[in-house]
Amino acid sequence: MKEKNAFIIIVALFLTFYFMPVGSDWLDNALLSGFALLHEYMTQHVLTCLVPAFFIAGGIAVFVKKQSVLKYLGGKAKPYVSYPIASVSGAILAVCSCTILPLFAGIYKRGAGLGPAIAFLYSGPAINVAAIFLTASVLGFKIGLARAIAAIFLAGLVGLTMAFLFREKTAKQEIALEEETQQKTSKTAITLFFASMVGILVVNGLQIDWTIKWGLMGFMALIAVIVVLLKFKTETRNNWLSETWSISKLLIPYLFIGVFIVGFIMPLIPEKLIIQWVGSNTIQANFLASVFGAFMYFSTLTEVPIMQALIAKGMNQGPALSLLLAGPSLSLPAMLVIRSILGNKKTIAYIAIVVIYSSIAGLIFGMI
Amino acid sequence: MKIQILGTGCPKCKQLEANVKKALEETGKKAEIEKVTDINKIIELGVMATPALVIDGKIVCSGRIPLTKEIKKWL
Repeated sequence: MKEKNAFIIIVALFLTFYFMPVGSDWLDNALLSGFALLHEYMTQHVLTCLVPAFFIAGGIAVFVKKQSVLKYLGGKAKPYVSYPIASVSGAILAVCSCTILPLFAGIYKRGAGLGPAIAFLYSGPAINVAAIFLTASVLGFKIGLARAIAAIFLAGLVGLTMAFLFREKTAKQEIALEEETQQKTSKTAITLFFASMVGILVVNGLQIDWTIKWGLMGFMALIAVIVVLLKFKTETRNNWLSETWSISKLLIPYLFIGVFIVGFIMPLIPEKLIIQWVGSNTIQANFLASVFGAFMYFSTLTEVPIMQALIAKGMNQGPALSLLLAGPSLSLPAMLVIRSILGNKKTIAYIAIVVIYSSIAGLIFGMI
Repeated sequence: MKIQILGTGCPKCKQLEANVKKALEETGKKAEIEKVTDINKIIELGVMATPALVIDGKIVCSGRIPLTKEIKKWL
């Protein structure tokens, strides 16, 4: 099998380059645009936004234990506790869907039930530190903030709606939790550590003189480094670095390839079509954007360059937010896995609810 | 001895499998390795955080990738 695959790849590459319209204007433009967009990301977003965000995500993976969040999502949890916790916990726990899905299935079958499980399922991919800050850095502060707020809010709403539609009894069980390993790092150190790193991201978003900006960012980076060197145990430090590395390794290749592809096809997107379909903040435009987002598969973070291209081509802010809300949490592959846990009826309801609510949220944002 | 590796197939689960194989190799012990990728089965086994390692029906580790050194102790 392997030999055959290799052969197919070589033949495909051969045919691609054989028929490549070398020297034609559109190809030159597209290639140049692809590299230009990559250059833009390297110079403006990688060091100041992505790198700190990955370090934060690594820190979260080390210090925030999945078990401690699950405590609040057990069978006996009160709804006013479980819904808010489920809506925000996706933001801090998840980087890839492989962590989300088992937790989702567990909360659904053994814990707080359908509603909170759905809230968690939605919030996981829709809000994570890196995605929110990259959105703010590339697309602007306003839409980044709107994305974060709307995603948390929608998560709870989608969960409540699902729980209302399918009132079912769950076997109230307590989730079996593992013994937690004691963290030996002081609370002050952890707080200072996260505060200084989030500070870097926030300062980066401010519109201030660049010498002050870089000075402040350098200062905060220094605090983070000092805390890590003096207050963290060697083991914690190594865990943190290895988590950060594994997150980066997972996301960066897809992001860079995604950025290049988006840059490549950007000159080929017909501006007229975009303006005609999603150029204004109408119900149809928002709905179209949500449906498109729901079925397309975006690897984590690549939704940002895609939106950048579409907005540059004339997409309205409203439909843009609709797409950002429906896109990352729904995709064809995710739907298939969700179906195996929830069954057809609930899966269809979930997709419909997410699409409708995302459209409404986009519509409202477009009017503000 | 029966070793089950639980995970839906993300890179972390593959890393865990590699670590387990290395641990077996270094200790020279023999075991049957089963990979559980079906999410419903994973939940039935009582695991909420993948990757997880189950040895002879007992969950020894979940939610992180244990080092080869640690796995050797559990074998």
